[in-house]
Amino acid sequence: MNFKFWLSIVVAAAVVALAGFGVYAYHPSLPAMSAAERPSFSPEVIEKGRILAAAGYCATCHTAVGGKPYAGNYPMETGFGTIYASNITPDPETGLGSWSPAAFRRAMHDGVDREGAHLLPAFPFDHFTKMSDEDVDAIYAFLMAKVAPVRETTKDNALPFPLNQRVLQAGWKLLFVDFGRYRPDPGKSEQWNRGAYLVEGVTHCGACHTPRNLLGAEKKGEAFAGAAIDRWIAPALTADNPSVVPWSAAEFTRYLGTGAGVYHGIAAGPMGPVVHAGLRELPKSDLEAIGAYLGAGIGAPATDPAANPAVLASLKAGRPDPTYRKDLGERLYATACAACHYNASRIVEGRPELAINSSTRLADPTNLIHVILDGVDAKNGMGGVVMPAFRHALSDAEIAAVAAYLREKRANLAPWPDLAAQVARIRAEGAGH
Amino acid sequence: MIDFTVNGRNVSVDVEADTPLLWVIRDTIDLTGTKYGCGIGMCGACTVHVGGRATRSCITPVGDVAGTEITTIEGLDPAGNHPVQQAWRHLRVPQCGYCQSGQIMQAAAFLKDIPSPTDDDIDAVMTGNLCRCMTYLRIRAAVREAAAALRGETTNG
Amino acid sequence: MADESRFRARSRDNGARLADRSRESGLSRRGFLVSMCAAGAVFGFPRAGLAAMDPAMPGGTPIEAAGARYEPAIWYWIDTEGRINVNIIRAEMGQHVGTAIARILADELGANWDDVHIEHVDTAAKWGLMVTGGSWSVWQSWPVYRQAGAAGRVALAQKAAELWGLDPAAVSVANGVVSGGGRSAGFGELVAQGITRSFTEDELRALPLKPHAELTLVGKDVTALDIADKTTGQAIFGIDAKVEGMVHAAPLLPPTRYGSEIVRIDDSSAKAIKGYQQTLKLDDPSGTAPGWAMVIADSHWAAQKAAGLVRVEWKPSDAARVSEADIQQRARALIADDAKGAVLDTGDTDVVPVFARAAVTMEAEYTTATVLHFQLEPVNALAFRNAEGVWEIHTGNQWQSLALPWLQKALGVDENGVVMRSYLLGGGFGRRLNGDYAVPVALASKALGGKPVKMVATRPDDLRFDSPRSPSVQRVRMAFDQDRNVIAMDTAVAAGWPTKVMVPAFMPKGVNGEPYDPFASDGVDHWYSVGAQRARAISNDLAESTFRPGWLRSVSPGWINWAIESFMHEAAVKVGKDPVRFRLDHLKAEGRNAGTAPDSVGGAARQAQVLARVAALSGYGKAKLPADTAIGVATSYGQARSMPTWVGGAVQLHVDRQTGFVDVQKIWLVVDCGTVVDPDSARAQCEGAALWGLSMALCEGTEFENGQVRDRNLDSYTPLRMIDTPEVVVEFVDSTEVPVGLGEPGTTVVAPAIGNAIFEAVGVRLRRLPIRPEAVLAALKVK
Ligand code: FES
Ligand code: FES
Repeated sequence: MNFKFWLSIVVAAAVVALAGFGVYAYHPSLPAMSAAERPSFSPEVIEKGRILAAAGYCATCHTAVGGKPYAGNYPMETGFGTIYASNITPDPETGLGSWSPAAFRRAMHDGVDREGAHLLPAFPFDHFTKMSDEDVDAIYAFLMAKVAPVRETTKDNALPFPLNQRVLQAGWKLLFVDFGRYRPDPGKSEQWNRGAYLVEGVTHCGACHTPRNLLGAEKKGEAFAGAAIDRWIAPALTADNPSVVPWSAAEFTRYLGTGAGVYHGIAAGPMGPVVHAGLRELPKSDLEAIGAYLGAGIGAPATDPAANPAVLASLKAGRPDPTYRKDLGERLYATACAACHYNASRIVEGRPELAINSSTRLADPTNLIHVILDGVDAKNGMGGVVMPAFRHALSDAEIAAVAAYLREKRANLAPWPDLAAQVARIRAEGAGH
Repeated sequence: MIDFTVNGRNVSVDVEADTPLLWVIRDTIDLTGTKYGCGIGMCGACTVHVGGRATRSCITPVGDVAGTEITTIEGLDPAGNHPVQQAWRHLRVPQCGYCQSGQIMQAAAFLKDIPSPTDDDIDAVMTGNLCRCMTYLRIRAAVREAAAALRGETTNG
Repeated sequence: MADESRFRARSRDNGARLADRSRESGLSRRGFLVSMCAAGAVFGFPRAGLAAMDPAMPGGTPIEAAGARYEPAIWYWIDTEGRINVNIIRAEMGQHVGTAIARILADELGANWDDVHIEHVDTAAKWGLMVTGGSWSVWQSWPVYRQAGAAGRVALAQKAAELWGLDPAAVSVANGVVSGGGRSAGFGELVAQGITRSFTEDELRALPLKPHAELTLVGKDVTALDIADKTTGQAIFGIDAKVEGMVHAAPLLPPTRYGSEIVRIDDSSAKAIKGYQQTLKLDDPSGTAPGWAMVIADSHWAAQKAAGLVRVEWKPSDAARVSEADIQQRARALIADDAKGAVLDTGDTDVVPVFARAAVTMEAEYTTATVLHFQLEPVNALAFRNAEGVWEIHTGNQWQSLALPWLQKALGVDENGVVMRSYLLGGGFGRRLNGDYAVPVALASKALGGKPVKMVATRPDDLRFDSPRSPSVQRVRMAFDQDRNVIAMDTAVAAGWPTKVMVPAFMPKGVNGEPYDPFASDGVDHWYSVGAQRARAISNDLAESTFRPGWLRSVSPGWINWAIESFMHEAAVKVGKDPVRFRLDHLKAEGRNAGTAPDSVGGAARQAQVLARVAALSGYGKAKLPADTAIGVATSYGQARSMPTWVGGAVQLHVDRQTGFVDVQKIWLVVDCGTVVDPDSARAQCEGAALWGLSMALCEGTEFENGQVRDRNLDSYTPLRMIDTPEVVVEFVDSTEVPVGLGEPGTTVVAPAIGNAIFEAVGVRLRRLPIRPEAVLAALKVK
């Protein structure tokens, strides 16, 4: 955190102040709801809420490792310091138990808690503001009716002054957030609009896939351009996506519903729970809608990916070469990787073809190194299957050699610089999927 | 406790999550058909199926397989008569036999994905399985024979 | 069968040499064997089913006799259900040895093969010398198991005759049925009646054996009894041994094989590991595993994790500074000193004057790098003191009689105090002839008051503690007269000697009175007639103090034949002859190369025959091949002169001039091993041997660095894999001569055939194994 950065915060706050900041920033505390006042919900609404809560990954961020579901205290490392997710179980003292539906709606739509304090944007209210009242209410219903109350006080965030001044968040909101529900684009299909509603709202894909500015806000002009997140890389969901086989609507739908696509590898790292604890709960029609929306954004041509020249070239490049010993990476790959990753004349689901895989094609080798080091557990990727972890099997230089082989010899892309050092760095961050 | 199934049986093991699946299978669950050869994923002696896919258990932390269905050589076929096993016996592939559980598990999974392999395909996939007795010529032939049997073609076996 | 008979070659060889030695010392050969047994074997406490192994039974548990059992000889019993249980004293390591031996017995007995079971027995004095792969004993198996079978046949016939009131001559035994006088009975029925007939040694020897033509099981194609369980995960190897209450050990290996001392052990960090118990500093009175510590834990994994955290400080020996280059320099210095080494008996060994008067001489040096066994099952053992106070060692081992005295010394007990129990071996290749790995486990158990301790070495530990094939240097010289006829050959071979290190008593003496290791010199006393011939075998003392040299598949013919057969090609080129023709001209069945009945009958003529045949079969010199592609040939007599397996080998390969990559496309072997006893096993052994030869020629090899082998796992040690496997054609010569070994001979011709083919393809000569692409490129550059 350098001086310039701090200065910019202060300047931003000053600008906002001049624009009648006090009025804008103030929100009243809403009355606490007693147990008797707690509304009842229909099973249909609760079920709908369960699905939406999954699609919004509420549990992923609001459950600490080894902690009780939704009880909060999951630490989120931001560039600004560590933020602890709040307890959203229906516990009246430490959770949402005393929140009325209106208070919950205000939190989701406006980023303000029951007592009137501004919530930090690690909570993606900038997306949830797009959600309909009905959908927000359904999530509320689910949390209140189905989640076990847990008494657990949320830890104080470890943010430095002045960032710990929540009032500053109001300025941030003013600068960066378009509040208001999703407005359908009449020029697009109903399915596209449904997809856009979900993606921009509850599933908040941009939260990871859109780069953020210095103040941690998504850059408006660079929606879905790809970003670093949790020490992994979230690839671009635009025409800039590095895949040689452009993501089609169908491929998105399959991937988001199962965790794996035939032409794009698997959901690992932070994307793992997005699929496995989240999106796969959505009805097929919603997954198709998301696929249609994201697919349109990429603009894949309607050709058979199996006939894509890049796929055919990749398959050809993967044929066994008896001179494999001459290159360390190729030799290690032939003996440790090919048994699972080799494809004959067509790509078989479950045998990710690494030359066309995003992790090999991204400008940054991080994702590939993560997967080689720590594999993919059964809760991620395809689900129910695993990739072993080479952390204790191969040295930094050996993992770098495998990555370089894939990058240069198989994907035919420019070498990644300083690979062994990058492996060492990621290894030092420790295991963890 | 980490739960999964092995050969259709539910098991629940109380071991550190970073313990390699191999040693849990061999020492905790007491199925010793799966072997240790290198411990770095480069010989294939420890190959089992996790969720139906051939997996090198020596570098797979047991915590990663929670909730999965695992098959070892002992469970590949209740009577030991999987077409791959039959081909292995018919062509008398094993010498010392130590690598063969892994070879068979690898081949059985491979033929599900690639049912009509060429010799190149066999080389590409089976090269990860080391046989120090060097029974490779017979393994190659046995994979071809098993493939034909699995496709329902008659063989001389 | 083949693998066991491969040892037979050298066993007879040793037998012969030892016979000579024992004559000198006044011992009969048999006397010598007996004394060896007494030194090596123990009076165990055999308890059926404790660990002895039936590889055909799931879990390996041998069958138990139903009802009373009849034991015509110690080698088997028959129970009241007619089941025949044959005791096998050899270890099973891929050669299907039990099947071969049991068939010999069953055939003579007249048994139905379906009734036959085998049991790989635990050590006991009654079995005599236990060494596998066969050495003396398999060579002995043929007569011994046939006599035993005959004893059973005679006893069964007698019993039937007695019951039926017939003359025993009127009773016949075949296919598990005893019949005569219109009646018949199964073996079980007769055993149930009670058979008491016993045989003295002399009676056994006097029993009539079936004529060869009446044998119905031997020579017939069968599926070995051990194969089925090896496809279902039911086969039990040493690594699978377990007993109630055992703890697990992970070794902490010293920086050098010998002479390192532990200064201090700090296990404070290891205490955080769940299941960690303690770290033992071993004290080894046998000197087998000096400077070891053992980490003890509840599970293998806990022991491994803790071992990574225990810090040990050693005072290393001087070997910690030794590199491969040092070892090879030492070899060169030894070779350069004419006085060093044992001179083998090759007839006229006085080459000095012949070289002095030669018109032309040539000389070349060949080297081979260190090779690791890398048997796929890392070494392991389980040790404890049983209720009777006897130490039990559960492991797979190839030479129990060698390891037992070490164990006795380590444990401080006499020969009644230790028994080794038999498991299958996940590959032998000679690694487990050296049973050193059992010693530290026994010591750990001893330190824990006899508690069961199991150690499974990790792969890196297995390789650091391997007894590798020694690196070698060979200097070959040849002298020619004016007409370019060969008039003398002088070969000096220096390497670390396994036999010297582990069984010095097995070393015969050369004509200069110096002892030598036959396993490290076989191959140098070849069958070419070259005039005066000196063959000097030199022990490399630096190698032997740095590591423990081991016997590795084919042992010295693996490196010596590389030199001899490369050199023969070079010599042919020098005198302008076709290399096959040149060899044939010098393979004359004359003088000492005429051969001796029965084992080496035919002599050099048989070697000439396989060479000519493989040249024809491969199309050598005739096939129209693409650029930079050629066929090279080589020939050998397998393991030892006294029991030769004649092999001709050819390799077709292509050399890529840009990368130096050598692509081996096809290997041909023509093998004359006398009678082919089991065609399928014979072929399997030759396939494996040829591919081992290829692997050692192009794929694998390591080096000593700071007193340890550099490569310790498959990321850098790179044996042949399926993708490297070319087509292999094996042809056996039709023969009715004595059957000889097959497991190794195929290994010995491949490397020189490759070297020769490279020369034919691109005109460069490689003299170092393994042949790496960089070496080919470098040679092409200077050409
Ligand atoms: S032991 Fe797992 S691959 Fe070698
Ligand atoms: S059969 Fe021995 S390692 Fe393959």
